[in-house]
Amino acid sequence: MKTAKIGNYAIAFLIILSLNFLLPRMMPGDPLTAICGEEALVEMTPELRTELMHRFALDEPLWKQFFVYLAGIVHGDFGYSYYYNAPVLEVILEALPWTLLLLGSSLILSTLLSIIMGIESGWRRGRNSDKSLLTATMVMNGFPNFFIGIILLLLFGVYLGFLPLQGAKTPYSGLSGLNLLLDIARHLVLPLTALTLSQIPSSYLLMRNTMITTLKEPFVLTAKAKGLSEASVRYKHAGRNAILPIVTTTGVRVGIIVTGALFIEMIFSYPGVGLLIYNSLFMRDYPILQGAFFIVTVFVIVANFIVDSLYTKIDPRIEIEEVEHAH
Amino acid sequence: MKNKNIAIATLVLILLVSSSVGLSIASSGSETAKAGEVIYTIADSTGDWGYPSPHAHYPRGPGYVRMSFIFDTLVWKDTQGFVPALATDWEYLEDENAYLFYLRKDVTWHDGEKFTAEDVAFTFTYVKEHPSWWVDLKSVKQVEVLDEYTVKIYLKEPYAPFLNDDASTLAILPKHIWQDVKNPSEFIEPEALIGTGPFKLVDYSKTHGTYLYEAYDDYYQGKPEIDRLKFVKVSEEMASTALMRGEVNATDIPPETVEEVNGKGFTIINQSGDWNAKLMINHEKEPMSSKEFRHALAYAINRDELVEIAQRGHAIRGSPGLLSPNSPYYNPNIVKYEYNPQRAKDILESQRYQLKEDGYYWKDGKILELELITAPSMGFERVAEIIARQLGEAGIKVNVRSLEWKTLDSRVMNQQFDLAISGHGGIGGDPSILNKVILGEFGYSANYTKNESLNQLLEAHLHEMDEEKRKEIVREIQKIYAEELPALTLYYPKWYWGHDGSVDIYYTMGGIARGIPIPLNTLAFMEYKAKAKAPAPTATEAPIPGFEPAISLLVLITVAYLIKRRRKH
Repeated sequence: MKTAKIGNYAIAFLIILSLNFLLPRMMPGDPLTAICGEEALVEMTPELRTELMHRFALDEPLWKQFFVYLAGIVHGDFGYSYYYNAPVLEVILEALPWTLLLLGSSLILSTLLSIIMGIESGWRRGRNSDKSLLTATMVMNGFPNFFIGIILLLLFGVYLGFLPLQGAKTPYSGLSGLNLLLDIARHLVLPLTALTLSQIPSSYLLMRNTMITTLKEPFVLTAKAKGLSEASVRYKHAGRNAILPIVTTTGVRVGIIVTGALFIEMIFSYPGVGLLIYNSLFMRDYPILQGAFFIVTVFVIVANFIVDSLYTKIDPRIEIEEVEHAH
Repeated sequence: MKNKNIAIATLVLILLVSSSVGLSIASSGSETAKAGEVIYTIADSTGDWGYPSPHAHYPRGPGYVRMSFIFDTLVWKDTQGFVPALATDWEYLEDENAYLFYLRKDVTWHDGEKFTAEDVAFTFTYVKEHPSWWVDLKSVKQVEVLDEYTVKIYLKEPYAPFLNDDASTLAILPKHIWQDVKNPSEFIEPEALIGTGPFKLVDYSKTHGTYLYEAYDDYYQGKPEIDRLKFVKVSEEMASTALMRGEVNATDIPPETVEEVNGKGFTIINQSGDWNAKLMINHEKEPMSSKEFRHALAYAINRDELVEIAQRGHAIRGSPGLLSPNSPYYNPNIVKYEYNPQRAKDILESQRYQLKEDGYYWKDGKILELELITAPSMGFERVAEIIARQLGEAGIKVNVRSLEWKTLDSRVMNQQFDLAISGHGGIGGDPSILNKVILGEFGYSANYTKNESLNQLLEAHLHEMDEEKRKEIVREIQKIYAEELPALTLYYPKWYWGHDGSVDIYYTMGGIARGIPIPLNTLAFMEYKAKAKAPAPTATEAPIPGFEPAISLLVLITVAYLIKRRRKH
């Protein structure tokens, strides 16, 4: 059972690795002309072209490039970026912490908020507070995340002017310690809010629906009958049972949120992996694309793996079964 | 209950780890400014242009500019033309076909070593061995060191662009550092940034797209009055706001914001004629392979309307000869193709096309229908729509298709297109660019070699050392090019920079080095005008009073509440 599961992950991983290799190369245009782009002033002399072809191993047949790529991954070597003129791993590792900061906090924040909102909304089903929350979320769901981002940026950044316009920190500000932390937090507020707001609706709706179904279960009635406090029934009994589908979808959401971050990072010039992927697409920088997609893949697969194992662990019914068996 | 705690603990852990990793990265590379220093900040929407060594920066104009603050060339340019840099004087020896450069004697490298003719000779040999993006030294035969401060460069044959494309572009490297470097583009040690220029690099961040320079005290033209020069990343849309808030001193700004920025007291400078948008015509394919048909296309397109509507007036109408009226090589006496749809129709009818009731021309039972490909950038889609309408009015049915930029490039290069909208820069510099954009095989090149006399003139002007005679040849080239019309220059967009006036930044004549149209000439940063000249920032950057304490308080209360709740359970 367990080995079969790991086998599945391995197969998925291999397929994704091959796609990561093939897809960028299937785009029209070649990296050598993309590097200098529309810059008509630079000279791509035949000697330079030959040298670059050789340096980037573009003169090798595709199958050979593929094996070099696979062998490289095994050794933790992701190659050398055509455009950034640096090892791929180095470029990605510099951008990764910012993406982790943005995605990690947004994933946690949006999950927590949608759970709480869903529980409260489901509990108050049909009442005005439920209706208005539902309407507000549905409206928000209609906006793409970059639109929310632009609105927030205009409002808080440009007109009110109390939040930074872009970036992850003030360059060469000389700040340190707590001030640096606050500076980073200030830069994080807008992108985080935009990303989180765009993530909430789907999870909120799911949570609200399962909450409503769960509230009809007999054990909720029992809990109420035992005279437990309302908050306890709402969160510990009904809420905890309704949470399971959210946990399952969180794994899937990791993939979606990465895509979302791409736009948000562009709008706020946030120096993360999304912005890196975007730029590298234009430059036809295959090694960076391979590396960045690889990292994203690993994250999604790991997240799904964690969720898979978490799911069975926090399902209370399994615990109950075990208790019954013990009797 | 236990499992729930584990889940919460995991979440908290992830949050903590990710934020602390972010912080540890963030805290590195911060540089504190000293009091009383003059700091000048420039915004850039891309930010990262690579490690600013002559061989490691990205092969684009802004990358070269980042490097030019640290390294010098033999000759440099200002608003008027060539000025001395490492060479105080130079002459062309006609009978020897060589350039003689007399070098400055008071120049030191940033590490204190003396600069001599050996460094110059070394650089020429080194760059011949290690091809560079910017300088192609194929015209150079041999370099001879005459004495410590005189160097003679022999050319293979007379080569007119040498002074502009080579002598004022090739960054001179210190021999004592680079002589052992095998792989120059991967040489990114601190020594790779030892130059003779007015500034030294203090920090560069690839991730954040920022550069910090400090003045080099022993610069041979005196210490720059700007102590610290910063490049920061600001998105295109936010650039004007950042300038008006006083966050940056200079930035390129979108044309729409020019009036507002100017109204706030900032100085606006603009440049046009370096970049041109072109209608690429597939001259290898029927019916565009007919010269007369291409003329019909040109008569049917109203370039004034493109300027007024698609570019909202922020452009100059294109000259069919490619070079702009701002170029010293411009030829006004060429066929102009003034908008004349009737003439277009006459040409089509002379080619046996017949106008049908649907409003389009037909020939041999087939409608005259062309595909116009374009890319979603620089307002090209708007331009394409207008051209499609204009050609439609002249009876040519045009379907617009928008492609990703690189896809467009490769389709034009492989001649898989009818019409395309593309563009390129570099036409403000040396006219040697004409050879590249007429004969070359690039996505933006006309790729046209069918006219023998055009080919010959393009070869001839490169070897004409007499400037006046060369101008004549280049004018003739424009005349034939306009007549052949392998591509039609539509307009030259105007580019704007806004700045606070504390440094008099300017556009270099013919562009920086080979012709980079960016107004950040190193020479401008030698002088700092009184700070009082700079307009006061219009909005304070300070947050609303109490904003941060309020947030912190809120966080504290929430945490306290959560802890209390957990205890109760």
